[in-house]
Amino acid sequence: MAEDTEVLREVWNGRIPVCFRLDSHELSSIEEPEPYFLLLPRMSYLPLVTDKVKLHFQKTVSQEEGDEMWFEYDDQPLKWQHPIGVLFDLHGNPDQVPWNVTVHFKRFPEDELIRCPGEEAVESLFMSTVKEADFLKHRGAVMNAMHAKEHRQFWLGLKNDRFDQFWEVNRRLMAVSSDPFRSIPYRIHQTDKPFIQEPVKPTTTEDEPILLSDLIREKIPHAAPTESGESTYQILVQGIQPPLTTPLQYLSEHFSHPDNFLHIAIVCR
Amino acid sequence: VPDRKMSSPGLMATSPPQGDDPKESLDEEKVTVLLRPTAGAPILKNKKYNVSRDKTAGWINSFLRKRIKCLPDEQVFLYVSQAFVPSPDQTVSNLYECFGSDGKLVLHYCKTQAWG
Repeated sequence: MAEDTEVLREVWNGRIPVCFRLDSHELSSIEEPEPYFLLLPRMSYLPLVTDKVKLHFQKTVSQEEGDEMWFEYDDQPLKWQHPIGVLFDLHGNPDQVPWNVTVHFKRFPEDELIRCPGEEAVESLFMSTVKEADFLKHRGAVMNAMHAKEHRQFWLGLKNDRFDQFWEVNRRLMAVSSDPFRSIPYRIHQTDKPFIQEPVKPTTTEDEPILLSDLIREKIPHAAPTESGESTYQILVQGIQPPLTTPLQYLSEHFSHPDNFLHIAIVCR
Repeated sequence: VPDRKMSSPGLMATSPPQGDDPKESLDEEKVTVLLRPTAGAPILKNKKYNVSRDKTAGWINSFLRKRIKCLPDEQVFLYVSQAFVPSPDQTVSNLYECFGSDGKLVLHYCKTQAWG
């Protein structure tokens, strides 16, 4: 069971300052709209926290041509189905904040992004991902044993940024006392490839904890530091570079996103 | 960081296939996907497909829509382990490694939400 509440709170409170600007080619009014600034929760998803961005820019785009709003940074369309913190770790640069994100209402990149028909789509994909994680950890037993009311509380806790409400349910998903995780739900993200998610147990057959370094050497050997400790890659979890000697079980319990997956971003610096 | 043998037995949680390794008998880049209807969904003539590992759940969904002649306003849900809907950008490779067994990945499909 995750006990370091301070760590959990610190992770939960992670915020990213973002500056939204409309793509200049999509402007239909004479006056250029002001950029729009928001402090976005790392834990959340773009469609849940960008209503104000839409309101701010929509009036300056011609209605007939307007399509679903989408975001882009440095020519990379941002996938709404991944948590905001993951998108920033993968595409942003912590030395350049606020994060300059371009807003689009035209030319939706059908090949690269999936459409988001509304908040229900975010909720159903999010809850499904939590089930997937629970399937990896406990064969789905914890999610199945919960009432619909608790699923709802869990989702609303995330949506409304309520730590206590969320963790009241999440601590059951993270509990290990009676039933250790069968495998660690994780996803390794790289900018130019699909994410990697292959089964890894929390411990070896000798009951030794499996470390972050073990996972990186196995899955992304070129990103692992050399013997002298050098690497051109950063291994980011929740915006920080955790010691590679950290056990995966600890990271999973304390540094996972609300979807219960440990998201690891590998970036070349 | 201690340098440990990465392929030490027991590190990976993949369930070992029974008997002959089916992955060897099949093209390494492909996975056998079994598509099973549920909740009254139309039955496919061919249920078994060899799918490239780099294809995504979204790709299978589109493929299926064409096969069962879905109308544009109809939805198709794909389920893994009869429990959850995979993310559209999840690869067949990841799904097989995590939830496949005996060289196969079983996916259930339906037009109305069957589980959860």
